[in-house]
Amino acid sequence: MTEQEKLRPEPTTTSEVSRRNFLGALATAGGAALAVAALDQFAADPQAALAAYEEQIVRGTLNQGQSSADLRALDVLERMRLELLRALQKQPSERRWVMVIDLRKCIGCHACTIGCVAENKLPPGVVYRPVIEEEYGTYPNVARRFIPRPCMQCENPPCVPVCPVRATFTNAEGIVEMDYERCIGCRYCLTACPYSARVSDFGFTYTEEIPVIQGLVGTAAADDYERAPNFEYGKQYAREGRNSPVGNARKCHFCQHRILEGVLPACVTTCIGRATLFGDANDPESLVAELIASPNVLRLREELGTEPRVYYLK
Amino acid sequence: MAQIVSTAEKRPRFTLRLTDLIWIVGAIALLIGAVGMLDRLRFGLAPAAIGSYVPWGLWVGFYDYLVWLEVGSLMLFSGMVYLADNYTLAKIKPLVLFTGFVVLLMALILVAMDLGHFERFWHVYLYADFGSMITWMVWLHTAYLLLLAVELLLALRGTAKGLLKVLGLLSLPLGLMLILVSGSIFGVVAARPLWNTSNLPLMFFISALAAGASLLLLLVVVFWTDKTSDDYTRLTQRLAQIAGWLMLGGTFVAGVLAFTILYQGGGNPQRAAALQLILTGPFWWSFWIMHILLGVIVPVVIYFLFYKSRWLLMIGAALSVVTFVAVTLNIVIPVLATPELEGLAEAYHHQKLNLNYVPNANEWLVVIFVFGFGALLYGLGLRFLPVLSKRTQE
Repeated sequence: MTEQEKLRPEPTTTSEVSRRNFLGALATAGGAALAVAALDQFAADPQAALAAYEEQIVRGTLNQGQSSADLRALDVLERMRLELLRALQKQPSERRWVMVIDLRKCIGCHACTIGCVAENKLPPGVVYRPVIEEEYGTYPNVARRFIPRPCMQCENPPCVPVCPVRATFTNAEGIVEMDYERCIGCRYCLTACPYSARVSDFGFTYTEEIPVIQGLVGTAAADDYERAPNFEYGKQYAREGRNSPVGNARKCHFCQHRILEGVLPACVTTCIGRATLFGDANDPESLVAELIASPNVLRLREELGTEPRVYYLK
Repeated sequence: MAQIVSTAEKRPRFTLRLTDLIWIVGAIALLIGAVGMLDRLRFGLAPAAIGSYVPWGLWVGFYDYLVWLEVGSLMLFSGMVYLADNYTLAKIKPLVLFTGFVVLLMALILVAMDLGHFERFWHVYLYADFGSMITWMVWLHTAYLLLLAVELLLALRGTAKGLLKVLGLLSLPLGLMLILVSGSIFGVVAARPLWNTSNLPLMFFISALAAGASLLLLLVVVFWTDKTSDDYTRLTQRLAQIAGWLMLGGTFVAGVLAFTILYQGGGNPQRAAALQLILTGPFWWSFWIMHILLGVIVPVVIYFLFYKSRWLLMIGAALSVVTFVAVTLNIVIPVLATPELEGLAEAYHHQKLNLNYVPNANEWLVVIFVFGFGALLYGLGLRFLPVLSKRTQE
């Protein structure tokens, strides 16, 4: 059992945390364990209410009759985090992570791009989530929109079958992963991705051309950032020489290492407009499940049959 | 060794000079190219101009070009010798096999240099996924290399002619599979509409045969001992006709396909844009001048009208052989340089995240190194192996 698996809460059935259950609990609220069960209590002391609810989820002690209905009153970040914790109670194959990006709310601040770079310690030339800026219309009726482009985590990923060494694959949760140690760096997957969502790590560093001054700056003094390991795919990849992931294909993985710890992806938490939303689409009570059922939803290049798990609201 | 020296002495003076020239030029190219090769080995793919949005470039283009030459020439040779019983052509069997072997080695070195982790090439054997065209390509290349090595060894020894014929016949389906798989590597990529067609592997096949026919013709024109013989005249005329018709046929088919793609946008703007980039983009000259004018029109005119002139024939065949690289480069690069998502290349700035790919000095130097290596090996092989000896021609 890996460290992440150990940290995962014990699985429970989805029925324990359904909306109906929680509504029932609201009706029978009482005692400290059910301090969260009333909407007014969320309003009165949200921190305590959330903490109690979260504890119940993690311990798997949600009472019959409790529901997530009142989570709608929360900030979407808190709601998504609690839904994430709830989804982690299930078996991995029962989850279906999706990302919803509300184009009407995205202001093009690129905080998600930078958050992703910081989280995954991406070197120069490697980006998982660029934000495309687009102008459209004819003067004077013109407008701009911003289209963040993470990996689509396709249900039929064209990048997977072309890999000659099975270095990329879809895991049980539907996230397309990379095995850096196995990848030979042929970049066939880069050509096969219709979203240009894969990039190659050419081995650049931010400090390589900075002069060394008394050990203060320069590559050798850059341990704090340049060589500190990232935690992609639950492993640690320190940046040393030409070792992987240098020379490999790299891609967004929905911050899988954070998800498994019950933390939302970096691009979600850094989005100042709450335009990027994340959750388990297999949970009918989840925010993302509600949103992807709306009529103004679209996916990029659907005609290719890739079935992306990233949805855009327009 | 004494026999080799004696056969070398019997060769025409020109041949001796040419073989020496080949390996000397090769050695010089090797030294020049070593600068780029050392950079490649030390810094990986960082010094190359390829990036994440145009992930394949000069090296892959040259790799496919070399595969066309190698497989095309060997398939045509085996077909003419073993299926059409052309015993005249059979006289240069060691030369053709040795040429194919050297070209294959060059292709493999070049494509290995294109890998981010070439030291893990063995993963393709250990963790093979036969759903990937690259897996097939590597396995078929391995089989082809082994087959060619055995064939060459037997041909140089002049023994086991029965086995040699079996291997020669075996090389036909193997070569066909290899060339079709090489085309399928691009043909199966649905994300790139100009590649994504079943016509592409077939076009690879026709193009490989056309390039291979010109290479065979060049070998005959340059290395045939008695250029006044009827054998030489008949053989060059035959090869010139084959090469000419293959080039005309291939160009006609490609032209029809291009027309259907461009007609009213062909229903796919991305595909039409990629084709427009080939025809009218910044490197239009590589298609119109290098490929169409120098690679097709001039050689075809020579092949059909001036085939009796040895020098013109050599120029025509050499032009065709050299300029075929423009075809593979135009297949690989413009398609990748066509944006999949508009605005993406401007979304995040880095030299490796742009669509304006132009091969840089490092990439050219590595190509020069590989060609230098090939020329050195080829020249020394011609000089010291009985590749051109009278014994093998008789």
